[in-house]
Amino acid sequence: MTTSITESPAPRKAARRSGAPAGRRPKKLGRYLAMSPGLLFLAAISLYPTLYSLVVSFMRWNLSSGEAARFAGVDNFVGLLTDGLFWNSVRVTLVFVFFSVLIELVLTFGLALLFFRGFPGDKLLRALIMMPMLCAPVVVGLLARFSLEPTYGIVNQLMRSIGLPTTEFLGNVDLALPTLIAIDVWQWSPFLFLILLAAMQGLPEEVIEASKIDGASWPRIIWHQFLPLLRYPILVGVLLRLIDSFRVYDIVYMTTRGGPVDATSTMSWQIYNVGFRAFDISYAAAFSWLLLLLVLLAVNSLIRRMVARS
Amino acid sequence: MSVRRRSINWNVGVRAAVAVICTFLFIAPVLWMVTTAFKTGNQAFSGEIQWFFTPTLENFAEVLGGTRLTYALINSLQVSVISSIVAILLASGIAYPLARYEFRGRDQIAGTILSLRIVPPIVTIIPLFLVMRTVGLNGSLLSIIILHVFMNLPLAVWLLRGFYEDVPKEIEEAGAIDGLGSVGIFFRMVLPLAMPGVASTALLCFVFSWNEFLFASVLSNAGSQTVTVALTQYVTPVGTEWTLIMAAGTVVAVPVWLAALAAQKYLVRGLSLGAVK
Repeated sequence: MTTSITESPAPRKAARRSGAPAGRRPKKLGRYLAMSPGLLFLAAISLYPTLYSLVVSFMRWNLSSGEAARFAGVDNFVGLLTDGLFWNSVRVTLVFVFFSVLIELVLTFGLALLFFRGFPGDKLLRALIMMPMLCAPVVVGLLARFSLEPTYGIVNQLMRSIGLPTTEFLGNVDLALPTLIAIDVWQWSPFLFLILLAAMQGLPEEVIEASKIDGASWPRIIWHQFLPLLRYPILVGVLLRLIDSFRVYDIVYMTTRGGPVDATSTMSWQIYNVGFRAFDISYAAAFSWLLLLLVLLAVNSLIRRMVARS
Repeated sequence: MSVRRRSINWNVGVRAAVAVICTFLFIAPVLWMVTTAFKTGNQAFSGEIQWFFTPTLENFAEVLGGTRLTYALINSLQVSVISSIVAILLASGIAYPLARYEFRGRDQIAGTILSLRIVPPIVTIIPLFLVMRTVGLNGSLLSIIILHVFMNLPLAVWLLRGFYEDVPKEIEEAGAIDGLGSVGIFFRMVLPLAMPGVASTALLCFVFSWNEFLFASVLSNAGSQTVTVALTQYVTPVGTEWTLIMAAGTVVAVPVWLAALAAQKYLVRGLSLGAVK
């Protein structure tokens, strides 16, 4: 027994370091064996359909017409780039993504500052704040419709009680998109809040103490110490929020269905419309490739920084 | 810590008060949903907010007594549980080697898996809808389960990788000395030690699958509706029964709140793909 304790690990380590073939091969095989089901699954369900969708995007194929699919070259892409509805959906998506993520970031940074020093009952409040983001977006959509309902919705009831007029938030061309942004901010701020709070509580206490001893004011500490130290968690949080807000669909489906007059017609929503209501599969495929391109453009540099850190 | 104790003064009081107000803003709509679920139609639609009322279980009885939502709940339970278990199994196979061994292509594999998280679901669903149609899986629970496994796998790999890394290497070496193979080491030593993390990952997968809508709505038919899809049918152009809908919404939200409560300790880590611990 004693000999095995001292001897057994050593050759293994040595083998690992020197890359000696003896005794290594079966182990290596084992790890690829373990990884293969998952990797094959991922490849099958992402690689093949992705390539398939690229092929489809260069065809003319409408499921409702009954005609066979045929090659169409870049027709779909040319069609999209000259399609007012496409550009409208790009604009709506960018406005939605930009404002929702920006507002969420500013709001939650303040909220996290409020919580990070702790106070009696802070854990309970933190757990309660999580509730919106745990609701299915479909449930949030229903709740938003009910809350914003003109007659007995709580928002309008409260507004009337302080003398404001009844407002159709979701049915008004100018208000629909800001309302959707507000819903998104309500549902997803808790997510950024939790990330920022966890990051702030992980900050080294000495940094703050040292600055305080130096006589730095809180705004200065926040600007010069917190922001630089929190750059990475902020980056991760914003990245994840960007990725998610580009795919906003459920909320649109449940509240405005892209209306009124396409004011809330995001790209995801428009692709759904084209693909699963008009059944123009090839046009939708081309559309979705342009969405993917836009997402990649928007998050590419952030991702590179994130991967570089991990 | 010492700072925390000392500063019980007006400053703490003000912060606590502001925090309570902020918290209320976040939970007020949820509270309103849950309380409306316990109201009768008259109480809900009186045109004035009823702060105090006698709660009724009528709405829940009607929602759960009918076949539609109950059937969808059973579907969702099957989809979420099965897809979470499969995702954990497949992800463990990938995550453990990623966590333990250095080998060529390791970082590329991890990076590629992460990048799958970036693709918007609407981009994936068009080709996958066509594929499912071709292989005849359209409208089946299996097709939804497959897509939910696909959706959760990247998340699970990244999380599990972190949890498996946290298991001390010495323990595995001790296992090797006792003559365990790598399979034995994983199942008898690593997995039990990483269990809290693994269980939380499973709960998070459950939550995401339970809440998912797009895949489920495109691929399901009348018989394979999940709860989120079933909810959309409660909204009709004529006479929306809000008390029923709020009861249904509450029924759908409660399992997720319970799951999150159980996984609370790892929630932040889970939601940020393990990037923020």
